[in-house]
Amino acid sequence: MSIIRTEHLSKSFGSLQVLKDINLSVEQGEVIVIIGPSGAGKSTFLRSLNELETITGGKIFIDEQLVEERKHGHVVFTLPPKEKAAYLLEMGMVFQRFNLFPHKTAAENVMLAPINVKNVTKEEARARAEALLTKVGLEDKFDEYPSKLSGGQQQRVAIARALAMEPKIMLFDEPTSALDPELVGDVLKVMQELAEDGMTMLVVSHEMGFAKGVADRVLFMCDGIIAEEGSPDEIFSNPQNPRTKQFLNVIL
Amino acid sequence: MESLTKIWNWMPALLKASGVTLELTVASVLTALVLGIFLALGKISKNKPIKWLSSAYIFFFRGTPLLLQLFFIYYSIPMMVPALTIQSRFVSAWIAFSLNVAAYLAEIIRAAIQSVDKGQLEASKSLGLTYAQSMRLVIIPQAYRRMIPPICNEFVMVLKDTSLVAIIAVTDLTFQARIIASNKASTLVYIPVMIIYLILTGIFTTVFNRLEKKFSVYE
Ligand SMILES: Nc1ncnc2c1ncn2[C@@H]1O[C@H](COP(=O)(O)OP(=O)(O)OP(=O)(O)O)[C@@H](O)[C@H]1O
Ligand SMILES: [Mg+2]
Repeated sequence: MSIIRTEHLSKSFGSLQVLKDINLSVEQGEVIVIIGPSGAGKSTFLRSLNELETITGGKIFIDEQLVEERKHGHVVFTLPPKEKAAYLLEMGMVFQRFNLFPHKTAAENVMLAPINVKNVTKEEARARAEALLTKVGLEDKFDEYPSKLSGGQQQRVAIARALAMEPKIMLFDEPTSALDPELVGDVLKVMQELAEDGMTMLVVSHEMGFAKGVADRVLFMCDGIIAEEGSPDEIFSNPQNPRTKQFLNVIL
Repeated sequence: MESLTKIWNWMPALLKASGVTLELTVASVLTALVLGIFLALGKISKNKPIKWLSSAYIFFFRGTPLLLQLFFIYYSIPMMVPALTIQSRFVSAWIAFSLNVAAYLAEIIRAAIQSVDKGQLEASKSLGLTYAQSMRLVIIPQAYRRMIPPICNEFVMVLKDTSLVAIIAVTDLTFQARIIASNKASTLVYIPVMIIYLILTGIFTTVFNRLEKKFSVYE
């Protein structure tokens, strides 16, 4: 069963069509890495899935339930807000620039949404936050403010924060590209462990090591479409599309 | 020596009037803060009528003299709608100042809210918080610290602007000083009065500096 599926998804900003026709089905437990040149629409695609952007056309299914369908910008179908919110909660998102809440400590960052969205008690949320922060290797940072943490530590808090809502799928938008090189490894390790635990993941990243080691599928996105897809081996060792070849030559 | 005795004798009246000035300032700014938050949220709202109403309110109260607004509330409204006659001059002044200051605070609050990184709202949304929850729990708490210096500034301005209420005969500090000056034919009274204003301003500034430090703990 697919966790997320899109049909003919398109998105324009005014006259600029960024996503043209994206058809993707993400199966339970799958780890998909998306690569592609700057401006290809990778971020826009992830952001369309959890409604940080409104799509222009196409359908989005979550757990095989149609949640949104649009045509030429107009709504064809949309779930009632409450129901839709529940489906959107199945997605957690990690941003390139962490976006931690600077006025909250690490633990408070993780506790905020469970307490206010899921009505979890403070004690329960705290216990869960401590467990998650320990899992991402921050057992000694519960009560630090983000400004006192390194970029890699902040990103791991952000991962714990998203996990606290118990999503079925995690979306990562270039989670390591704002980090100093020596801090990238810690974050990738956490992501790898998450994948090993069976989490479904959709990751925009150019970390080839991670893609080769962890991904089930790699998508090459270019000019608003998925130009090529395949196993990491197929894409990295034997790309078919000339655009893929050209892109890999540049970044490898 | 003689002057000192004179000043000493005026002090009870001056202190009582200082109380009026202080009460009017604090009551107006606090009321204006509540109103200002709603106006600021209204102005950045995506709801067109709400946005338009908030903008029009702010435009009107910032674009006309406070003195006229005060006259309007005290004299004109009771004439047009007798049911709205307000007995207490102090209450009239309080309403006029609150409505006026709210427009200025709304702009301060709006600027502070909009200076918070867009990623904060996106992170909140991706965690399932509603817009109202995001504002209350994430955005406005971060905007607080940035609002404090301009709000302090506004406090000090209002403290001085309240001297306008002499015009509808509310016995604030400035009005009391003028009464004493004309009755006792002594202009000496302006010296202690200015000192009292300075002390009040100093108190506000100190309190707000403390507040700013308190809200900066996480930086
Ligand atoms: N809010 C917006 N308004 C207008 N144009 C936008 C907006 N967001 C993105 N775009 C445009 O959409 C295109 C795709 O942007 P997007 O951020 O999705 O690319 P990307 O593949 O993530 O690139 P990068 O690797 O640089 O992150 C770009 O041309 C960008 O300028
Ligand atoms: Mg991007």
